[in-house]
Amino acid sequence: MSSKFYTPDGFNDTLPGVCAFKKDAESKLRRLFFLHGYQEIETPGFEYADIYTKPDFVKEEDLYKLTDSKGRLLCARYDGTIPAARYAATLAKDKFPLRLSYIENMYRFNQTGGGRQSEFTQAGAELMGIAGSDSDAEVIAMAIRSALEVGVTDLQVSIGQTGLFEGAVNQAGLDEETAGIIRNAIVAKDPVTIERVAGEKDLSDNDRDMFLMFAQPSGDADTVEEIRDFFTDPKATEAIKNLEEIMEALSDYGYDKYVSIDPGLLGSVDYYTGVVFKGYTYEVGFPIIGGGRYNKTVGAFGRDMECVGFSLGLSLAITALIRQGLELTDPVAEAVVGYEKGNKDARVSAITLAEQMRLGGTTVILDTSSKSEEELNAFADDNDIGTVFWFDGGEK
Amino acid sequence: MLTIALSKGRLAEQAIELLERAGYDCTAAKEKSRKLILEDEKTGLRFIMAKPADVPTYVEYGAADLGVVGKDTLLEEGRQLYEVIDLGFGKCRMCVAGPKELKDGKLDKIPNKRVGTKYPNITRAYFEGVKKESVEIIKLNGSVELAPLIGLSEVIVDIVESGRTLYENGLDVIETIADISARVVVNRVSMKMKSDEITPMIEKLKTQVEIMNSNKEE
Repeated sequence: MSSKFYTPDGFNDTLPGVCAFKKDAESKLRRLFFLHGYQEIETPGFEYADIYTKPDFVKEEDLYKLTDSKGRLLCARYDGTIPAARYAATLAKDKFPLRLSYIENMYRFNQTGGGRQSEFTQAGAELMGIAGSDSDAEVIAMAIRSALEVGVTDLQVSIGQTGLFEGAVNQAGLDEETAGIIRNAIVAKDPVTIERVAGEKDLSDNDRDMFLMFAQPSGDADTVEEIRDFFTDPKATEAIKNLEEIMEALSDYGYDKYVSIDPGLLGSVDYYTGVVFKGYTYEVGFPIIGGGRYNKTVGAFGRDMECVGFSLGLSLAITALIRQGLELTDPVAEAVVGYEKGNKDARVSAITLAEQMRLGGTTVILDTSSKSEEELNAFADDNDIGTVFWFDGGEK
Repeated sequence: MLTIALSKGRLAEQAIELLERAGYDCTAAKEKSRKLILEDEKTGLRFIMAKPADVPTYVEYGAADLGVVGKDTLLEEGRQLYEVIDLGFGKCRMCVAGPKELKDGKLDKIPNKRVGTKYPNITRAYFEGVKKESVEIIKLNGSVELAPLIGLSEVIVDIVESGRTLYENGLDVIETIADISARVVVNRVSMKMKSDEITPMIEKLKTQVEIMNSNKEE
């Protein structure tokens, strides 16, 4: 018989120190969502795998799968958005717009390293049932606030729009296959392939430069003016207007310094249908915030609905903060109260005092291990406990 | 501080040469020692010497901000990275190679081929994705040319530079899968968060590559 005394790959204990910080962050986020009218929901830990794979949102191999008693395929919760979309389409009736939030553990197969784990906590919010730049900006502002609330201040959020690339493809008259090749080149920021394809397909200079602009290494622009002139297609023009309005609104929130425009942020084809954004900080290799508009998603559950949302990778954000030098403190307690062994009166006094102090908000350990006064003082020293009370027959 | 992952060997030397021409002091990186991390506080550059196949991993996870690595490794590892410059050196081809007799379409007549290779992912992507056929892949770690010679596999997938090893063993290139050269890759978060340092470096390196390429043409 072999016993496994360690945890599976990608699954970790969250121990005192980190756990206290994380739970505190969760409370702050919960409060933030509550104050903005985003009602919290819990969705099942397991769903039918179909809700992720049938509309092709998630690759089957990325899900943790199991079967129910009838042999149907289930999967562990992969994200918060798809279950929220299922809820909005089927159960929410007509109470729109709907503002939902969640703070839950997600499970993703084959995804570890660079600060990522297979099990991790995400906090997110979804704004369902309304369209428009103001609602886009509301959710981006929520995302920024969430990161700040957790303590991430070195934050950069890049904003893109799926309409830019769609418009560019129309404008250049690309077939689906060529568009796919260019899309992959933009995602990899690979200008070589774009130049080659532009030559083969005989694109105009403007259209070639437009696709190269998408693939600029640091794609960030402060305003849409830098990119506006490339586009004539109405879809792209509309996307630019959307970005312009979002940036204006975010400046009203006072968040200009966190945001920039990245045309090369394309978002997943099957998922996003408008604004897309990602948030970055130092010391982890992956974005800590992801989000965007996903008007097609709820439609997959039988009801078309305009939606925008974000999620904050809380576990990843905390990893980043720790690597950025966050000092975690989690003292065992602020005070310890002990009493002489076998002395009933002393025990009564000790219990009473401990209770009173706890009512006042002090964390108190009542020593029940029959320590002597010296042992109790030594215990307090070892555990950084500042205050010691000792009861024997007479005085404390 | 920028951390640059280099592929130990010839590719690292060429990358350092290019960085120096672009105006970066790489004295630290040229130090003859067995140190794996070579750091220079003055220049703000830190080099890590890694096995080529590991460079994409270091960069994807953000342990290194940038890396220089062959396209063959990038194709095989399939990491999420920005691939910003084709450096033009370290040129070769990823090929299907085998006995000369299999040229001119005869390869396609063999059903359920066995393919020996150091690059199982590239091989699978090519045969399943491009040629739409399933093959039996035999993962090898070196001297791949041996496999068809002693009947372990019908063909191999490997990088071919001059082709001499193939010819001397009675083998030949049958199909070309991709052109390979050294690339500069960048971590996606570093590109955002350290853009002030990385963007000028990319621009300077690009200029040097253009000069190098135009010299070659002359």
